[in-house]
Amino acid sequence: MTNTEAILRSVSWNLTKYFSLILVSFTALLPLVSIVITAFKTPEEYRTTNVMTPPQSWLNFENFTFVWEKAGMGLAFFNSGVVLVAVLCGSIMISSMLAFVLNRIKFPGNGLVRNLFLFASLVPAVAMQVTVYQIMYTLNLINSLSGYIILLLGTDVISIYIFMQFFENLPVSLDESAILDGCTLFGVFFKILLPLLKPAIITCMILKGVSTYNEYYMANMYLQDKTRLQVVSTSLYTFTGPMGNQYNYICAGVLVTMIPALIIFILCQKQIYSGLAQGAVKG
Amino acid sequence: MKSERSVKSLRPKLSIKQQIMSMRGQRIIITVAFMLVPLLLLFLFTYLPFFKMGQFSLYEMRYIGKRTFVGLQNYADVFSRNDVFGSLKLSLYYLAASFIQLALALYLAATLSFKVKGGAFFKGTIFFPYLVCGIAIGFIFKFFFTRGFVLDTVLGYLGANLEILPYWLRDTGVNNIMLAATSIWRYLGQNMVLFIGAIMSVDPSLYEAANIDGASGWNKFRHITLPGIQSIVVLNMILSISGSISAFEPPFVITNGTFGTATYFVMMNSLAHEKQKVGLASAMAVVLMLIIVLVTLFQRFVSSTFLEEDKNGYTFSERRAMKKRADARGGRGV
Amino acid sequence: MKRIISLILAMGMAATMVACGNSSNNSAPQAAEPTAESAAEQPAPSGQDGGNISAAGVAIDQIILGEDYTDLSAEIRFKTHRTDIMDTILQGYADDFREMYPNITVTYEGITDYSETMTTRLSTPDWGDACMIPTTIPLTELENYFHPFGATATLSEDYNFADNRAFGGTTYGLPSTSNAQGVLFNKAVFAKAGITDIPKTPDEFLDALKKIKDNTDAIPLYTNFAAGWTMGAWDAYISGSATGDPDFMNIKLPHAKDPFANRGDGTGPYAVYYVLYEAVKRGLVEDDPATSDWESSKGMLNRGEIGTMVLGSWAIVQMQEGGPNPDDIGYMSFPISVNGTQYATAGADYCYGINKNSSDEVKLASMLYIKYLVEKSNFDYDQGGIPTVKSHEFPSTLAAFDGIDLVADAPAKAGEEDLFVNINVDSEVSLNMDNQHVISIVEAALTGSATLDDLMADWNARWTASQQKYGAGA
Repeated sequence: MTNTEAILRSVSWNLTKYFSLILVSFTALLPLVSIVITAFKTPEEYRTTNVMTPPQSWLNFENFTFVWEKAGMGLAFFNSGVVLVAVLCGSIMISSMLAFVLNRIKFPGNGLVRNLFLFASLVPAVAMQVTVYQIMYTLNLINSLSGYIILLLGTDVISIYIFMQFFENLPVSLDESAILDGCTLFGVFFKILLPLLKPAIITCMILKGVSTYNEYYMANMYLQDKTRLQVVSTSLYTFTGPMGNQYNYICAGVLVTMIPALIIFILCQKQIYSGLAQGAVKG
Repeated sequence: MKSERSVKSLRPKLSIKQQIMSMRGQRIIITVAFMLVPLLLLFLFTYLPFFKMGQFSLYEMRYIGKRTFVGLQNYADVFSRNDVFGSLKLSLYYLAASFIQLALALYLAATLSFKVKGGAFFKGTIFFPYLVCGIAIGFIFKFFFTRGFVLDTVLGYLGANLEILPYWLRDTGVNNIMLAATSIWRYLGQNMVLFIGAIMSVDPSLYEAANIDGASGWNKFRHITLPGIQSIVVLNMILSISGSISAFEPPFVITNGTFGTATYFVMMNSLAHEKQKVGLASAMAVVLMLIIVLVTLFQRFVSSTFLEEDKNGYTFSERRAMKKRADARGGRGV
Repeated sequence: MKRIISLILAMGMAATMVACGNSSNNSAPQAAEPTAESAAEQPAPSGQDGGNISAAGVAIDQIILGEDYTDLSAEIRFKTHRTDIMDTILQGYADDFREMYPNITVTYEGITDYSETMTTRLSTPDWGDACMIPTTIPLTELENYFHPFGATATLSEDYNFADNRAFGGTTYGLPSTSNAQGVLFNKAVFAKAGITDIPKTPDEFLDALKKIKDNTDAIPLYTNFAAGWTMGAWDAYISGSATGDPDFMNIKLPHAKDPFANRGDGTGPYAVYYVLYEAVKRGLVEDDPATSDWESSKGMLNRGEIGTMVLGSWAIVQMQEGGPNPDDIGYMSFPISVNGTQYATAGADYCYGINKNSSDEVKLASMLYIKYLVEKSNFDYDQGGIPTVKSHEFPSTLAAFDGIDLVADAPAKAGEEDLFVNINVDSEVSLNMDNQHVISIVEAALTGSATLDDLMADWNARWTASQQKYGAGA
């Protein structure tokens, strides 16, 4: 009696479980599938067939070559790559060093500095662009990738927080024993602690990497010379104007920008999940 | 005090190199060297513009031209103007969406934390939208919601007649709901992954014990999983408040704020750039920030009262759970 | 008193400009070999306060293109809103110009969201060398940002709308092209719908749209709502087209009591917005404006899938080239008659401006290039606009406007140059500035959330409040 009940319960639970998972995955995939379909259609096909009708040929790459050239995506990917590498390296160095000082060294003003950064995370960055623009100009940082990189580094509070959290969990006894062995503070940081921060570095790379690759607002404002300084997000934005609603091209463009993210995601799925989870366990 | 004096009296005897090598010297050097760049950046790109913005908020000004000092008039306008302060009402849509998102993420996390056929596929599919760029999301959903396009077609397969379907981005009854839904689409997977991580960190022996007791899946979730991850759930709930107050991207990239979808942030952006009311927009930004500060203080209060460990090393929920367990055991005993 | 002070200041500045001009002439000779014809170096006599003397020493009307300064070498960074033709037509002009001036290179940068973005950039001195002057810059501020082209009075002899971007008798921008504001329509669609007479009043026009809807498959009026800027275009009709009065926009509107109220005779701003509101409300526009598409609308009008579109004369050529039937594209005056007569607003499109902070060589080079654009490129003619040079002929596209009075807005009275802008910005009505207020008309008509009278009453209330604030009560 209880046995059949248990089986019934398990069957119905399994049904609900898989039904709900399939439903949610379908919803997650539907918008993406629709753009894949449209990206392979010829302009004529796009105009005459329903959006969900599969294209006549899945090998029609014309839209892709068209948008690749039109939006200068080769250059855009190169620039985005440069920005990504520089921002990730810079941000990891800056944030881990700062977090080290704030966590390990007591100095007057330690609490103040922490609060300064906490408060900074509450300021709506987009709202201040008017004034930031003038500062960027004064520093001669407009229209250069390095200026854009510096700005992205300068508005980075999340990474600092991630590293602060990780330092909390690294016992101070590690430093102390290293110092007793004759290690300098620099040595403690670079030789002992930094290697232990690997999970934090991964978390930081994911969060900062996603936001940097997708950042559009400031790229549009500060990387003005689009023939030279196009990045992926701004190259995608060029479709808004002249291509209007020609979605066969737009979808191809969207797809192209998603491919690197997809590849990295498939290759580093595990690290991404655990990195994200680590970043949030303590909130 | 004493030790400081002794350090000072020692100083003349040490060479410069020795001083640097001394722990105190190292500390000073490292503190200064490691903090210089971040503090400089913080000052340049956050505090300097912030103070300027505060200053702007006291003026009636455009980007170009003269400015007039108007005191707190802009702040009075922020609170008295229905279209400005009223736009905060739209946050409720995004708040509701983020609560649905949390519940759904929790359910999916609880399901996917355990053995599920094709679990990796489901997890990956649900998570991937998080990696899509905001501009792309704008295009994807404009396309998705266009009359007769993706959503309408799929609903058509299910038997819905185009005639009875609303215009998803235009009808004021549904458009904000749709925009908020796109935000669920984007962040559900990320939320789910966070929760899965939290569930994984719950002590596995608890589940083993429960299995031996023959507890049902729901009971395990209710009595082991949920208490174990309560703090992160509550934190996410509170974070979603400030998130929904500053909701920006969905209306910005999909509808550009038309048909009553302009949230506070979109309104602020358009006042600053299209209407050239820099002073008013600055005041709006300051008000927004104050609201976020209040929410954050509330969050800190909640976490220190309910989530962090007390003197005995137990959190609020642990204490409650222990009490309940004790009660339950007592009950069963009778 | 204030006026006097500012006048003295202006004279003082003119004097320093002369000084600057001379010094730059002295330093320039290796780059520029002044020919006999370039009398430009001599300050031309003028009744104005010396405004025609520019820092580079020349007023634009006195340069002889292709003969003066042919050795000048400079690089011009040119900002434009025409992202669509930047790599093709505009680059072609730059190449053509190089034939004459081999050492001057022009680099275009196209900017989406032009007006907003450019306004931000202008807040810093080194934004580039030449641009289309955003209308967000108050006329009173022009001199702080742009290099003068010459005295307005003198330039007006040769150029149309030389007073469009001018202040204190000095011109700071010349029109890239100028528009007559009317309505595009497809002749074949009109014929098929049985419209024999071109509608001349708002209600006749709405009836015609109804006929198109009943008798053809075409969309009667395509709003191009989704593109945004296409909605802002409706503001162009409220002055000349709707009133026939050149003084309406800059002189009367800042002082008018309830300017947006229904006049009851089918004229004035209300009549313009009435056409839009009613067309939307009666379902005479595209099915889902929110997902309309600007690029494909050109082909649709050309092929007869659209009946009418409300856009300036610059759009005619693009519509003709949009498909196989250029002859079907017609252009008519906006359907408003003032005492039985039809008028059309005429006015400058974006004007070219030169950065006053650029080096003298670059300023001079920019002026040469702009002179080329205005006088030799035929941009205005090719775009179907009113030519900037007075002696140039009108393009045939405007033939439909024969017999219709073109009305250009007269500039504001001296001392009130920024009054209109102040009221316009403060009230957030934002005529000719943003698209939001016109978008709100479409939204209200579609959703039924407000009547046109409600909307206009709201605009009037805000306008009045701002008038009082700036002491311009009716």
